[in-house]
Parts: sequence; structure tokens; C-alpha cells
Amino acid sequence: MKMRKMMMGLAMLALAATGALTGCQKTTGNVELTFLNGKAEVVDWIDAKIKEFEAANPTIKITQEFDKDASSALKTKINGGDIPDITSVYENSLVNGGYYYDMSSFSAWNRVSSSVKELCTDPLTNKQYRLATNKTTAGLFYNKDIFTACGIAAEPATWADFIADVAKIKAQNYIPLYMGGSETWMLGHLMEFWGHGIIKENLGNVAANLAFINNDQTKLNFTGTGSAIKTFATRFLELKDAGCWNSDFVTASYDDQIENFATGKAAMFSQGMWALSKVTAKNPTMASKIGFMPYPSMDESKAPKAVVLSDVDSGYSVMKATKHATEAEKFLNFLWNVDNQKAYCELVSAPSAFTDVDANWSVIKDTVATALSKGFNIGFTSTPSGFGGGECGALIQGLYIGDYTADTFTTKYASDWNAAYNANK
Amino acid sequence: MTLTKAREKGNWLLNNLHKGMIWPAFLLFLAFVLLPLVFSVGFSFTSWNGLGKADWVGFDNFAVFFQDDRARNAVLNSLLFAGCSVPLLNFLGLGYALLLDKNSTLNKIVKAIVYVPAVISPLIMGYVWLLILKDNYGVLYSLFSLFGNGDAYVNLLGDKNWAMAVIIVVNAFQYVGLTMTIYSAGLQDIPSELYESASVDGANWFQKFTHITIPMLGPSIMINIITNIIGSLAVFDLVVSLTGGGPAYHTETLSLYIYRLAYGGRSGYASAVSVMMFFLIAIPVGISYYIMRKSNLYLNEEK
Repeated sequence: MKMRKMMMGLAMLALAATGALTGCQKTTGNVELTFLNGKAEVVDWIDAKIKEFEAANPTIKITQEFDKDASSALKTKINGGDIPDITSVYENSLVNGGYYYDMSSFSAWNRVSSSVKELCTDPLTNKQYRLATNKTTAGLFYNKDIFTACGIAAEPATWADFIADVAKIKAQNYIPLYMGGSETWMLGHLMEFWGHGIIKENLGNVAANLAFINNDQTKLNFTGTGSAIKTFATRFLELKDAGCWNSDFVTASYDDQIENFATGKAAMFSQGMWALSKVTAKNPTMASKIGFMPYPSMDESKAPKAVVLSDVDSGYSVMKATKHATEAEKFLNFLWNVDNQKAYCELVSAPSAFTDVDANWSVIKDTVATALSKGFNIGFTSTPSGFGGGECGALIQGLYIGDYTADTFTTKYASDWNAAYNANK
Repeated sequence: MTLTKAREKGNWLLNNLHKGMIWPAFLLFLAFVLLPLVFSVGFSFTSWNGLGKADWVGFDNFAVFFQDDRARNAVLNSLLFAGCSVPLLNFLGLGYALLLDKNSTLNKIVKAIVYVPAVISPLIMGYVWLLILKDNYGVLYSLFSLFGNGDAYVNLLGDKNWAMAVIIVVNAFQYVGLTMTIYSAGLQDIPSELYESASVDGANWFQKFTHITIPMLGPSIMINIITNIIGSLAVFDLVVSLTGGGPAYHTETLSLYIYRLAYGGRSGYASAVSVMMFFLIAIPVGISYYIMRKSNLYLNEEK
């Protein structure tokens, strides 16, 4: 009995001590931040940086939460009241809902290039709710050896040149332009870069962005004479008839695309810089053979230049619900310091948005610079929620398998876009 | 406390323990089924975008549903899938059960092999079949190439006329074991005296099958048909892994459409489509139940 009482006493003492220690910990002012990240390729790098930051700042603890579908995860968390402090997710619907912290006063903007700052600025409020650390570029990667073998001496400058080159490549039994069309976001990119590129070039990036956000059909002109959507559909079918695409267009994946290009079966593929490291990892000898060019414009009526995507990548946003904005900025400033950003650029093969970071980010760094100077630089499209790249890609699948003609595709595209826009008004 | 009272208390606890044990299950049911169901019905009358407050729109979402081409396409795809899957699963399941009815070691092994796919996640099953059927890379394509005719291989998953058929076959491959097991259990319950009496009366195999086996399998038929209808109309994982609803929405089912709507900023409308899906499932289930009760199936019920 005496023994039992003694044990009870000891247990109580241990509990009290634990409670006191826990209390002490709370009074030291420790701050816990969560970072919701959707970029799989940088999870380990960020974890390593968190350790370094915590070692230097013992009162701040950061937890990285990775979710492949971080956008859905963030919305679920917002509804559940479990809002992270920092996130890599940036969506117009969340900007409009007022969920982001105004980062306009962050000191890091002094180091960011003016073009990236402009792309990070919300056109409706003129404030910055994210800071992107990198620029990204998308266009047509091509195999220089295949081009030479097919007698193509220079990159195609016009649509007619492009079609002629496709025929030459096809004649040599290569796949001219490989598309992993089962992953519809890639087809959505075709429209975003090639189809919407016509609108962006005609209106200019800022005006086009506003027109897309406000669904200003007087400017977007989805269905009228000279519709960019119809031009895209017509050109797409022209490419199909020319045997441009791989036979498994609707079932091939992103990995198949990389595989076919890296193994020299496909002459070209449409992607962003993010795909480059996968190609060279698959076949290191490809590094010296890779060329990169803008998309030849599908609309030759106004003799425009080719278009190439040049937008921001790796954005960080602080959520408005955070109680630790100062600590969040401190952590982000650590991530954004020159040394860390140099390493990050080389990890993700993307040029830095910071003017003081000079990274050797890609084996085709100079080729990309040439492509950017040759083509009209466009940004991503602000699509209405519910009609993003995936939905557009499914329509393009339909165009490929014969569900639509160029005319019916145009009508369907405009109607689905408008329905999604109206549903989110 | 007297010994009698203590015993009475102990008996009361034992007699009522089961009532307490229902609570964990009930709370889980409440949290993960009943409340979401109620919320879903509530949200179906709003324009909720998945974030923030939900504005009341009355029956607007339901009006939109009846004009929504993609919803109509998803309903037709779901009905096509269920319309083919339910009979296929039941014919195959019953066939296997009858063939493997004898209690031999070989039959037990075959039954286990047929049942194994049912315990694999449908998502994994879909990806495995994708590896078999994929054009240019799949096992079947490689076999065609091996025999020198890779170009003759038809890309079934990329063909709008074949893609749904592939999903139906893979679904049957996965779940036929489950259907077979229920029929096998039903066959075990049929008294052998019935067959012996029928034999004495001169009944042939077909007469015994139609007049004894089928009526006596009534409960198994009912369980299989109703669960197959519910499962088939709500199919999701196999479609996601095999075709992702493509090509061009030709295999997009209602559950996949709801998922995409919910995470595409149209959660209110997604809830309305979910309510419509509830009726889409409840109506055929109700009709099947009614037909089976009116039939001469032996359902262990007093008629």
C-alpha cells in the first residue's frame, strides 16, 4: 500500500514537472510556422534549409507540409480553419477571396527584377500577394542532330516554315512533335502558349491579362472573325493532317514525352524548362544536342513574331490568417538569400528573379536567352476556376479524336469558358 | 451490496453492453456519412465555391444540371458502365460459383485466384492494366511487336469506342471474385434434398437450375445486384487510373465529374450533382428491389 502511494506521488510529480516545463516552453516565445508546398522536386532542399534556419533561429520552428495537389489541400485547410502561414499556392480565386497577406512591403522586392515584380502584381489591386524567385520559359525543345539529319538548317521562323519542317522530319521517320496528351494540362499549355499567344501578342501582356481576368470578349474575341481559338483549332488539325503528332497522342504521358525526346525518337516537344533536367538525367549525351525555340505564331495575318512563354516560377505567398508575418518574412528572406537562391536555380533549372543572383542554371542557358530575344515574351493565362488547362486539354483531345471541327471546337471552347467564368462571378 | 444485487448489476451490464458498443460506429457514421450528407444537400442550394461563405441560389444548380452537356454525358457514361457491368459481373460470378461448387482442393485454389483481384486497390488495378494495355509501351503491344506486327495493335484506351469497354472488363476482372463468393455461399445453403427430390421426379439439369438454384439464390442475387448497381454507378478509381475520364470525357463518370467540380471552385454545384447522383443510384436500386420481391425468388421473407 505504502509502495503504491509512493508510486502515485512520483507519477504526480512527473506530471507536474512536465506541465511546468511545457509552460516554460510557451513563455520563451517559440513560434511555429507551417509551409504548404506543392513542388515535389524541392521538398528535400527546403527541408534542409529549414534545418539550417532553425539552427540559426532556435525560437522559430518551421514545418513543411508537401501535397502534390497543394491547391486542393490549401482550400480544404482554409475550410477546416487550419491555414498554413506560408504557401507555394497562388490562385486568383484566393486573391479575390482576400486570403493572402499583402507582401508589398517586403524588403526583398528591392532585389527582384522589375519585370518579375510586374508579373507578381495583382492587376486589380496593384498589390503583391506573392513573390516569385524564378523565371520560367516554355517553348519548343528540339534535337539539333535530328534537324540536321532532316536537312533543316535554321529554326522555322514562320508557320509555313514550321509545316515544311514537320514534313521533312516525318519523311525521315522521326516523330515531329511528341505530346503526352493523356495528361491534359500539357494540352492546355498548347492553347495557353500557342492559341492565347496570339491574343497576348496582339493586345500586349498586361491588357491581355486584364481581358482574360474580366472575360472581356470585345478584346478576347473567342468566336468572332479572326478568333485566336479558331486559328488554334485550324492549325492544330493542320498539324494532325501533316502527321506531326505521335500516334498515341491521347494516351501518352509526360514521362513518355521525355523518354521519346531523350532517346532520339522525337524531334521536338513542347515544355517548360522544368522538363530539361529529366531529359538530361535520362540521357546525359543529349545536353549538347538540345535546341530551344519560340512557338512559330499560328496567326500569320499580321506577320507577328514567334511567341515564347516567359513567366514567373516558384512563388511564395504568406497567408493573411498568419499571426507571425514577421517571422514568415524572416524565414523567406533566409530562403531568398544569394547563396540559397543560386543553389535553388541550379536545382530547378530556372533563372533567378533576383538581380544579385548569378546562377549557372542550365546547359542551354544561352540558347534560352536567344529564344527569349527572338520571340514575343508572353505570360501564363488567368483562366476562370473550373476551366483550367485540364478542361481545355480534354477539349483538345476531342479535337484530336474527331469530336469537333475547328468551328464546333471554337463554339464549345467559348461556351465552356463563359460558363466557368459566370459560375465564379 | 448483496451478492444478488451485484449479480443483477453484472447481468444488466452484460445484457446492455451491445447498446454501448454501437456508439463508436454510430459516431463515425454520423461524422463521416450523415453530417456530410446533410451538408451536401444544404450546399446544393448555394453557389459555394469551396471557400468563404455560401450564397443561397435556390434550385438554380438543379436547373443548370439539366442543361449541362458534360453532366448529361457523365450520367450516360455512368449508366452505360453500370448497365454492362452489373449483368456481366453477375453472369460471370454465378458461372464461376457453379463451376467451382464442388469442394475440391483445386476448386479452392481457383476460387482464391479469382478472388485475389478484389482485395487489390482499384487504383493499383487500373495502373497494372495500363501497363498491359498502353500503346507503344504496354505488354500487349510488346507481344504484337514480338510477332512483327506492332502497328496492328489498337490503342484501346485512346479509342473513344473502346475505352469504356476496357474499363468494364477490368472492373469485371477485379470484382467477379467477390460476386462469385456471395453466390458460392448461397449455393452452399441450398439443401441437397431439394435436388435429390427433383432428380427422383425426373427433372433435368436445366429444370433444377431454373426451379431450385435460381429461386433459392434469391438473397445472394439481391445482395449482388444491389451492391453492384451502387458500386458501378459510383465508379471512380478505375476510371481515374485507366483513362482519367478521357479521351475527351468519353469515359468521365458522374463521380469523377463531381470530384472535378468540387475542386474546380464549383462546390455548390458539385453538391447538387451529388444529390442528383443519389437519385440516379436510388431509383435503379429501388426498381431492382421491387422486381426481385415480385419475382419467385426465395428471399427469406414472408410474402
